[in-house]
Amino acid sequence: MSEAKAAPDCSADSQQDAQRKAALLEELRSAIGQTTGAPLPARDAVNQAMIRHWSDAMTDFNPCYIDPDFAAKSIHGEVVAPPAMLNAWTMAGLHPPASLQGRGVDTYAKLDAAGYTSVVATNSEHDYVRYLKLGETLHHSTKLTEVSEEKATALGTGHFVTTVTEYTNDAGEVVGAMTFRILKFRPGTGRMAASAESAAPAKPRPIRPKPGISRDTGFFWDGIAQGELRIQKCDCGALHHPPMVRCPKCGTYDLGWIVASGRGKVYSHVEPVHPKIPSFDYPLIVGLIELEEGTRLLSNVIDIEDEFVEIGMDVELAIQECNGVELPVFRPARPARREDTLHFEDVAVGDRMAPCPIPITPTLIVSTAIASRDYQDVHHDRDLAIKRGSPDIFMNILTSSGLSSRYATDWAGPEAVLKNLRIRLGVPNYPYDTMTMYGEVADKGAVTNGRGPVTLKIRGTNRMGHHLTGSIDLELPSNAA
Amino acid sequence: MTMEFAGKTAIAGIGATEFSKNSERSTLRLAIECAEAAIRDAGLEPNQIDGMVNFTVEDNPEIEVARNLGIKQLTHFSRIHHSGGAACGTIHQAAMAVHSGACNYCLVFRAFNERSETRFGIGVQDRPATANSADVDFGWSSPFGLLTPASWVAMFARRYMHEYGATSEDFGRVAVADRKHAATNPEAFFYERPITLKEHQESRWIVKPLHLLDCCQESDGGQAFVVTTLERAKDLAQPPAVIASAAMGSGEDQQMMKSYYRDEITGIPEMGIVAQQLWRDTGLCADDIQTAVIYDHFTPLVLPQLEEFGFCKPGEGKDFVKDGNIELGGRLPINPNGGQLGEAYIHGMNGIAEGVRQVRGTSVNQVPDAENVLVTAGTAVPTSALILNRGNA
Ligand SMILES: [Zn+2]
Repeated sequence: MSEAKAAPDCSADSQQDAQRKAALLEELRSAIGQTTGAPLPARDAVNQAMIRHWSDAMTDFNPCYIDPDFAAKSIHGEVVAPPAMLNAWTMAGLHPPASLQGRGVDTYAKLDAAGYTSVVATNSEHDYVRYLKLGETLHHSTKLTEVSEEKATALGTGHFVTTVTEYTNDAGEVVGAMTFRILKFRPGTGRMAASAESAAPAKPRPIRPKPGISRDTGFFWDGIAQGELRIQKCDCGALHHPPMVRCPKCGTYDLGWIVASGRGKVYSHVEPVHPKIPSFDYPLIVGLIELEEGTRLLSNVIDIEDEFVEIGMDVELAIQECNGVELPVFRPARPARREDTLHFEDVAVGDRMAPCPIPITPTLIVSTAIASRDYQDVHHDRDLAIKRGSPDIFMNILTSSGLSSRYATDWAGPEAVLKNLRIRLGVPNYPYDTMTMYGEVADKGAVTNGRGPVTLKIRGTNRMGHHLTGSIDLELPSNAA
Repeated sequence: MTMEFAGKTAIAGIGATEFSKNSERSTLRLAIECAEAAIRDAGLEPNQIDGMVNFTVEDNPEIEVARNLGIKQLTHFSRIHHSGGAACGTIHQAAMAVHSGACNYCLVFRAFNERSETRFGIGVQDRPATANSADVDFGWSSPFGLLTPASWVAMFARRYMHEYGATSEDFGRVAVADRKHAATNPEAFFYERPITLKEHQESRWIVKPLHLLDCCQESDGGQAFVVTTLERAKDLAQPPAVIASAAMGSGEDQQMMKSYYRDEITGIPEMGIVAQQLWRDTGLCADDIQTAVIYDHFTPLVLPQLEEFGFCKPGEGKDFVKDGNIELGGRLPINPNGGQLGEAYIHGMNGIAEGVRQVRGTSVNQVPDAENVLVTAGTAVPTSALILNRGNA
């Protein structure tokens, strides 16, 4: 039995490391159940200016938030704050006064000290008792509820920390609650950081087939280079595509062009599956687009999954580089915001919400972060974001919630009332990607007091995968009322 | 106006190589082998051939074919453009040539190693981006990944499904009929290998909404014909397959595989132009056709062809193909040889040979009393078709 004296399972160093980790976890968990003390007031009362910033940044133009006349006649009776702003009101801000400092959950500070300096929010679950009104001051107190074991994630090695925050008004009335989970991790320890480094000397990819361009069609591609879609137009009024040298309607050789609005509808569409050509990214959707001017154009339909593409679907032009070639492509138009409100009886379980692509611009990421009073540098400072192991700035979780809320009420109408909003984040939303929101009616409850509960299942998907998955419970007016 | 050659010319000989996935010989060898077989079938000697018609996309020059066959003089040679759309057009051209006296015995052929050498199915992504008219034309589709014949046809198919409520299963019935017929044709690649509609539905996607089993084969092989005047044909070895009429057609705003800019894209106007000529010249109508070889590179475009020829009304192709109507024993058995899905893809030329066999009464899947046989050529391109019968005699 001499083998029994073989080398120990781990070295003295790693044994020490394990002991240190256990001690840290024990210390962190000793705070579970503790709160931050007496409810802390928000810096500002609920106010129209912050709501307007939010509304602009999220492009959520629900009139209940911004139009006093509409709001007065609505179910709310006056202007209300977007429900997803719940935790924006109590954010500390960029330079919080001393009275608001050092009162947060100190678990985060302890993790910072132990080297888990990076942070990413992973879950946000809002419960809305009622919508907030102008002039109310929100108070919040937060309780630590869970600290996970150290886990190796794609972002890095770290701990998930869960807190529950209760929101009350001046009178102590509970108006909402939030369960929030973040990952505190060591920068540079995850697969994503590693792949970002190793991917640096990327293999040159073959570019897409370039268009053949003649003297007769150059105007079209010159237009694309200048960011506009040109359609050949004759003085007799005829539009031609593909371009011609002589108008067959009137006989002239002197043909001009107009700039298309970029709006159109899908006339037909296919998804090439086999063979896969190396210069293309799949899945790939090729659409025959009928422009509103009347001519058709072959193109790609982007930022949507094939099974959601429909003939007749509204699409909008995006001129962009596609695997090395500048091309006019189309993405589904943002579904129009519903002006009246759906009734409970109008919807059925299984109904699909029209997909909504949201182009992720740096402006969107930065403006929404600031509108939600989130000054974490990773949401506005590219250099610092890269230093923390991220390839770029990325969208904050309040915005993911805000856009989910927008998607729900744009679909259901301004007087749909959210009861809760629960999302879980997956891959980040980086600039120059597009997140497309998909949703469907997952459940319906029983009508009480003229309102019926409906559960939506939603997801937001970008080119890397699911950015968010979640659910929203909302109430719709009933015909029975 | 009628075509003067109609009813006065005939296909006097047919010849083919075996159909395979790898012929293991040159396309020139395939061309010579099938040409000689057709000439011998007619009871002629190679040096009696004095005319030649083939496809513009044919790789084998007529002079090289003539040299190998020992043909001493050619007095007519010409080519027909637009890939598979040329198939019946070559017979049309040969009929005009022999009727006019430009030549007496006209050889028509198509030979390629389309599976083992130059595959059409892999796409046109390597075309250059020049100012040449064809490259400019591809420039409206290739940069977006619409690169293969299947994808070009799928765009029509999706719109057809949308407008008429046709389903993938309706397209599948064409494949099932083809494979059923191939299963009893020893020359067919898919001899003894029929499929079910379920297998069609479960076959993998090529280009949604097209499954693998909506697509024709890629094949190696060659097919040839001898065309001459009916008068001369009567003295040859085989009963003449009379060209009751043959016609070509190209429609308004016609494009190559991608006529996507017309008001409607669910019909095939160029095939309608062909159909009108055939009915006009022969005095026949759809009811007079006992069997037809309907060009089937991809199943969806079989349905609108049936509509253009008046076998059913626009949009009713999906109903016409139901209940075994297009299978042997049905109202209009199509592609008794197994078509290009079941027998082989020889650019529509093997379908013309089946038309000849049906008229001769020698097909392995003979349709009883096949008096008038319709054969069509490639769709989504300028196209052609013909009607064969035994003539007035
Ligand atoms: Zn004009």
